[in-house]
Amino acid sequence: MSENKVMIKIRNLHKVFGRDLHVLDGIDLDVSVGEVVSILGPSGSGKSTLLRCINFLEEPTAGTVEVDGVVIKAGEKSKNQAAKILDIRKKTGMCFQAFNLFPHMTAIGNVIEGPVTVLGQSKKEATPYAKELLEWVGLSDKADEYPARLSGGQQQRVAIARSLAMKPKIMLFDEPTSALDPELVGEVVDVMERLANEGMTIIAVTHEMHFARDVSTRVFIMDGGNWIEEGPPEEMFTNPKEERSKRFLAHIL
Amino acid sequence: MNQLNSVAERGIPPEALEVMARIDARRKNFNRNLKISLAIMVLLLFLSLVVLGLDFKFMGKWLGFILTGLGFTLLVSVLAISLACVLSVLGALGRLSRNPILNAMATLYVSLIRGTPLLVQVYMWYLALPQIGGALQELGFVGIQKYLTLPAIPAGIMALAVCYGAYMTETVRAGIQSIKIGQNEAAKALGMTRAQTMRRVIFPQALRVIIPPVSNEFIAMVKDSSLVSLMGVWELSFRAIKIGRRYFQSLEMLILVAVIYWVMCIILQTVQEKIEKHMAKGERGANG
Repeated sequence: MSENKVMIKIRNLHKVFGRDLHVLDGIDLDVSVGEVVSILGPSGSGKSTLLRCINFLEEPTAGTVEVDGVVIKAGEKSKNQAAKILDIRKKTGMCFQAFNLFPHMTAIGNVIEGPVTVLGQSKKEATPYAKELLEWVGLSDKADEYPARLSGGQQQRVAIARSLAMKPKIMLFDEPTSALDPELVGEVVDVMERLANEGMTIIAVTHEMHFARDVSTRVFIMDGGNWIEEGPPEEMFTNPKEERSKRFLAHIL
Repeated sequence: MNQLNSVAERGIPPEALEVMARIDARRKNFNRNLKISLAIMVLLLFLSLVVLGLDFKFMGKWLGFILTGLGFTLLVSVLAISLACVLSVLGALGRLSRNPILNAMATLYVSLIRGTPLLVQVYMWYLALPQIGGALQELGFVGIQKYLTLPAIPAGIMALAVCYGAYMTETVRAGIQSIKIGQNEAAKALGMTRAQTMRRVIFPQALRVIIPPVSNEFIAMVKDSSLVSLMGVWELSFRAIKIGRRYFQSLEMLILVAVIYWVMCIILQTVQEKIEKHMAKGERGANG
């Protein structure tokens, strides 16, 4: 077991929107293989932007991002940067707050879309694993339904299966349960927890307390574009050191 | 009574039954009355023609002759709309392109073509293009004139295709832009390239949005295809106008040809509804 093998290494990451909206202010982050990281913080603190900079849905303004050995320096004008970005995206799965399933494809169609279009597999090759994944998220009976006929929780579970079909090394979750009715949150968190137990490296922006406290191995609290503090969850939730963390945690606990 | 019992078992109070029946009847009555109203209006239109003393015998006699022009109308419309579809997709990609040259080309194309009358454009293709060919020949492009001297039908097809391509460019662009940004992001996050995202995710969804306006354009084009008659092509309206003038019975001929166009457009509209229903399969249940 290479417990300390680095999966993600971020150095001095900055993101400026327009001319003066400084959303990320020199972030450093190291995540080892198998770690489950929860990022908490008030809205507007830059959590989602950080996540989206890891797979370059947002282009960082400065700094370096390393994912599973692929290193990209922000602003670097190299020919193969586009190829490196695609490489990183293939290694990372991402789930969104609004699910973003493809509405013109069935559940199974969504799950095989990555392997078929990006990896060039045939539908026949991709289908058995896709079925396995749908069963793993508990939706084998919904394989042929269109997203419009699924509940929010079901849609998010299909979205997780869609990401897993690419066999990612790391999963990014961007507030995966924030758009869900309260009674549907559990089914999604349950899938995330099983994923963590199977050794997946996870970074989740979430305010779901069970996941942050009991599933994650480290908790980061963010405000104003950088960390306030970080630590193991039991310490962060019972004994935060910084005044700003105390205030934020008092709001959500 | 039986029905009443089963409803009562489901916990619906019996007095609600009457309300449910009334709501149901209201919808059924509206649909029935709508059909009756439409039928009466068509009948009245027809009767007014009888009252005007329309020569139906004359119309019947020349129906076959005029319908022979249908082939030209359909040929011009179908080829022009196919070409216009290709042009509009290219135009829309150009309008959304980050390459300044491609973007400028598409923007200029749309602006120029939408800003000039179709009638002028038709004559451009037919009468002015050969002159351009002549001028180019003098500049040293030997033999180019004969390629730029188009017969009436190709000239008409080009004029209609280029003109409708410009209008449809904006329709397609709007359709592409109506797709939520999250779709683009989900596709990117899976590792798709821009081309793959467009082809697999954005375009299939945009297609659903643009089917109604594109059908609209197609219906308009079928009628604008009569402009090729300006170049002496014996299509539907040209034949009707010729015969009407020759026998001083323009009313009969114009009404006849109008009805033929109308029937064609009703058929097209039915096809459009079929396509829309088919494309909406992922949407179903979203409203229900």
